[in-house]
Amino acid sequence: MRIEISGLTKVYKGKGRALDDLDLVVPTGMFGLLGANGAGKTTLMRILAGLLRPTAGTVRVGEHDGTARAGRLAVQQILGYLPQDLGVYPDLTAREFLDYIALLKGIDDRAARRRRVGELLEVVALTGDADRRLRGYSGGMRRRVGIAQALLADPRLLIVDEPTAGLDPEERIRFRTLLSQLAGQRTVLLSTHIVDDVAQTCRELAVLASGRLVFRGTVGDLTRQADGRVWTVVTAGPAPTTGTVVSALPHDDGMRYRVVGDSPPAFDASPAAPNLEDGYLALAQKA
Amino acid sequence: MIATARYEMAMMLRKRSMWITNAVIVLLLVLLNVSGWGDALRDPDARNTVASTVFLMNLMLPVGYGSLLADRLIRDSRLGVAPILDATPASPTGRLAGKYLGTCAAAAVPLAVILFGFAAVYSVTAGRPVALAWAALAYAVVVLPAVLFVGAFALTVPLVMPAPLFRVLFVGYWFWGNGISPAVMPTTTQSVLSPAGVYSNQELVGLRDFTLAGPVPGATLNFLRPEATPATAWLSVGVLLAVAALALGVAQTLRTRTTR
Repeated sequence: MRIEISGLTKVYKGKGRALDDLDLVVPTGMFGLLGANGAGKTTLMRILAGLLRPTAGTVRVGEHDGTARAGRLAVQQILGYLPQDLGVYPDLTAREFLDYIALLKGIDDRAARRRRVGELLEVVALTGDADRRLRGYSGGMRRRVGIAQALLADPRLLIVDEPTAGLDPEERIRFRTLLSQLAGQRTVLLSTHIVDDVAQTCRELAVLASGRLVFRGTVGDLTRQADGRVWTVVTAGPAPTTGTVVSALPHDDGMRYRVVGDSPPAFDASPAAPNLEDGYLALAQKA
Repeated sequence: MIATARYEMAMMLRKRSMWITNAVIVLLLVLLNVSGWGDALRDPDARNTVASTVFLMNLMLPVGYGSLLADRLIRDSRLGVAPILDATPASPTGRLAGKYLGTCAAAAVPLAVILFGFAAVYSVTAGRPVALAWAALAYAVVVLPAVLFVGAFALTVPLVMPAPLFRVLFVGYWFWGNGISPAVMPTTTQSVLSPAGVYSNQELVGLRDFTLAGPVPGATLNFLRPEATPATAWLSVGVLLAVAALALGVAQTLRTRTTR
């Protein structure tokens, strides 16, 4: 399912432009959305999920006009949405909460609903805790409930906003794999701060900054933004001041810094092969 | 709507504070007039005994459940559940109606326990099982309209002001609009707009201990106090339900505006 976004603008009263004349095409499959806080990712996701109306512009999701009421409803029938600030009802158990959302998503057949809820509890490894009230769940467990509810109606469009926040490394990897497996004939839009999540799951991605599209291409294209701009340097002295320090690791002779910048941070710095995070930082520096 | 009603009711019924609040108010009502209750349980006039009990219940208990219902609509946003619910294809109007009916149904459960519990005990002590039938009538025409009226405002008003402020104002309103005598100051007490339900209690259930419904000589707002008849009693029920529907309409409009 292809998403076509054209001239999309969202202005919040008193807060300025969250999206500014955004044009973007999202193809079927897994698609990453990167950007700093306030870049407009969440606003874009909320518009696509039908939670916000754009100030201007058009959104087409498959054959549906996402800016019209009927179109929004049609999109919501094929949508799985995991918001960034996910909440649950503390008075319900995970099984009840999922059952409730399944009913709202139109899974009316009781047996089918129970089966689907059971399957998804298994997928997110919560079967053993399914009949405990959500009040006692940890942040990571609630996140997993959120993931399960997004998958309830076997959605053709899956919008996930910071899905791995709060998950432990094992859960994160498991969920990333699950998203990739789901992608097949679906469109999965993954918004995240965690560049590695995009690197591990997406072939194509977009980068937003201040509500505008600053990059659209493949993971390789973005990585190449940092070609010739990544350096490592070992020093016992202060950290490099030119460029952006990506990492600092203890080393026998002091600290080993990885730096993204136009010029070497020190005379003895060595060039290094870029990765996606370097490419993202290089792009941010250019922007 | 049914799904929302079902789960909202379940969540509200699990709220321990709802049961505690009702229990405390009932305990206060009992303790304030221990000997009076003893007499009431032996009173052979089942109809008037039930009506008097419902009058007291409806004067005091709405303060509790009105305050408890105040967070039900706004909490979806506070808890962060609203985006998930709003992203489903379920109609927002249906969900609002379900939330309203579910929470009101839950609020009505303890009231049923109290009223039918009293009627059952009374049936035995006074040997008048007909009290159960009068209790059913009183529940339908006095208690439920009050729950639906209070529930609509408790869901709607906190959309425009903080819930704690609503609770304070609601308690003030309740005793001004239902308790204070119209001879003292302009008030909706004893009018068709009073959710305490004096018209329906007096004319449909049969409250005879004291006459409350109808015009009060010298009082302002007497146009809201027509002569008490069964017709004006039904009019009062209708007015309360219509005002409740209006309040819910406002709630729906306010919620729609936040999606822009």
